[in-house]
Amino acid sequence: MRRLSLRTLGPTLLGILAFLGVLAAIAGRMPLVLLTLVINLLIFAALAYSINFITGLTGYVSFGHVLFMAVGGYGLAYGVGTLHWHPVAGVALGALVSLALALGIGAVTLRFRGVYFAIASQVTALAGFYIVLEVQELGGGQGIVLNVGFEPIAWFYTIWVILAIEVGITYWITHGRLGYGIRSIRADEDAAKTVGVHAAALKLVLFAISGLFAGAAGGVYYWQGSGIFPNEAFSLTFSLIMLAMIVIGGMGTLLGPLFGAVAVYLSSQYFLTVLIGFEFVIIGVLVVVIALFLPEGIVGTLRKYVPELRGLIE
Amino acid sequence: MLRLEGITAGYEGTRVLRDIGLEAKEGMATVLIGPNGAGKSTTLKVINGLLHPTGGRVVFQGNDITKIPAHERAARGIASCPEGRRLFPLLTAEGNLRLGAYSPRGRAAAEETLASVYDLFPRLRERANVKAGRLSGGEQQMVAIGRALMSKPTILVLDEPSLGIAPKLVSEIFEKIQQLRKGGLTVLMVEQNAYQALRIADFGYVMQEGRIVMDGPPDRLLDLEDLRKAYFAIP
Ligand SMILES: Nc1ncnc2c1ncn2[C@@H]1O[C@H](COP(=O)(O)OP(=O)(O)O)[C@@H](O)[C@H]1O
Ligand SMILES: [Mg+2]
Repeated sequence: MRRLSLRTLGPTLLGILAFLGVLAAIAGRMPLVLLTLVINLLIFAALAYSINFITGLTGYVSFGHVLFMAVGGYGLAYGVGTLHWHPVAGVALGALVSLALALGIGAVTLRFRGVYFAIASQVTALAGFYIVLEVQELGGGQGIVLNVGFEPIAWFYTIWVILAIEVGITYWITHGRLGYGIRSIRADEDAAKTVGVHAAALKLVLFAISGLFAGAAGGVYYWQGSGIFPNEAFSLTFSLIMLAMIVIGGMGTLLGPLFGAVAVYLSSQYFLTVLIGFEFVIIGVLVVVIALFLPEGIVGTLRKYVPELRGLIE
Repeated sequence: MLRLEGITAGYEGTRVLRDIGLEAKEGMATVLIGPNGAGKSTTLKVINGLLHPTGGRVVFQGNDITKIPAHERAARGIASCPEGRRLFPLLTAEGNLRLGAYSPRGRAAAEETLASVYDLFPRLRERANVKAGRLSGGEQQMVAIGRALMSKPTILVLDEPSLGIAPKLVSEIFEKIQQLRKGGLTVLMVEQNAYQALRIADFGYVMQEGRIVMDGPPDRLLDLEDLRKAYFAIP
């Protein structure tokens, strides 16, 4: 373990940082259509990295992860609409509320394992939806329309920073002693405990980090959309897309969430032009096929069958 | 060193253990034998903290640890090789061993302990970079014992180390356990293989249907007609 933590940063991390660096350098010169696409891609990637912290790394399937994205959106809407804050402060508010909520929920639901945790997380998302419907300060069933400007460059750099931090944290916790501890939970939680891994604390911290970033990404998503509506904000579709991205990309890996986001976002955009609603059928089929035949996702499969890539991607 | 007092425990309403009392004395090898389903593994889960008893106390080095969570028991010096070994199949043999030094007490001396584990099981040195899932049953058991040793335990708790291993390796594993105990380690072992286990034991308990039905030094237990009755459920 000591040897691993001393290793250099590694090609995957450098590659992702180079990719982000190039995007940051050319964002100002991109045509608006392309910039919008990139912003949404980065939002999807940020959501993918967020669910990767809990589901990818520990194997706890957060089936209601949309809750944290929605809370981030409502935090933004409340911060901007009611408190008249700058949108970036609104994003931060949403992210912090989401973090606090994840701590509270996780303290209870992470005691359940397997399908029981998945069901519990779905229940919390449903509860969130019904609570929001009753809260007038959050627009009830009407939602909140925001009077914010059209600021693609601000959206871009906000989500860019969020994503870069997520990638950094993912790298940091998947290397060294902590990474071994976390992955041992996914492999066999009881065995992990018997070697001294404080599984309960690690899971809760990861769930909180996951909530924080899902909230932050949600904030930017609804800032860009300049409003939030409960039916959309709590839609099961978002939870499924988040899971799909890491299943397709490779659960618990550093590069997988990015690959998964590209695959899911681009294909959903493509099919959107063909037939609305149909894209999710395709994504659903893709997830089932990958889960059945390539359970380690794109990254795991490449590592398995292309030995030359093993030292390059993680 | 480690004592169970009046332990009652079970799974979701079904009571498995009734009023279990036993003690693993310092520097000794204590074995718990009994037929399949008697509750031996359940007893060990109470000891390593994966199962919380509904009654009774677990006392370790004079402290009541009944409510201490599993990961902290490892940090206090209780190392266990659980039923079915429970290795991390995708990690290499050495990765599994190193994970055994996760808690602070094992971390500082990890490299030396690793060398001593390889001295104890030279075969593992050759197999260090093989994924645990690809090792033979005997090798996996060696890794499981080695992983437990990596935490520098004061007591080693083993659940059926002979299960699923080639007969030739069984005696080798038992010899190593005996060697560890001669080196000063306290050992508590559960076995169905009563004869082999009692040969290396200092004291034995016999369990049947969730109760301790007999105890004593190994020669007495090995001799007794009653043991065979308990075992083969002869009335
Ligand atoms: N996880 C579990 N859930 C429910 N019952 C269990 C579980 N594990 C063991 N049991 C039951 O507890 C009893 C004792 O099992 P165990 O402690 O594994 O016995 P042994 O190790 O002596 O073979 C058995 O009747 C078994 O069916
Ligand atoms: Mg057993």
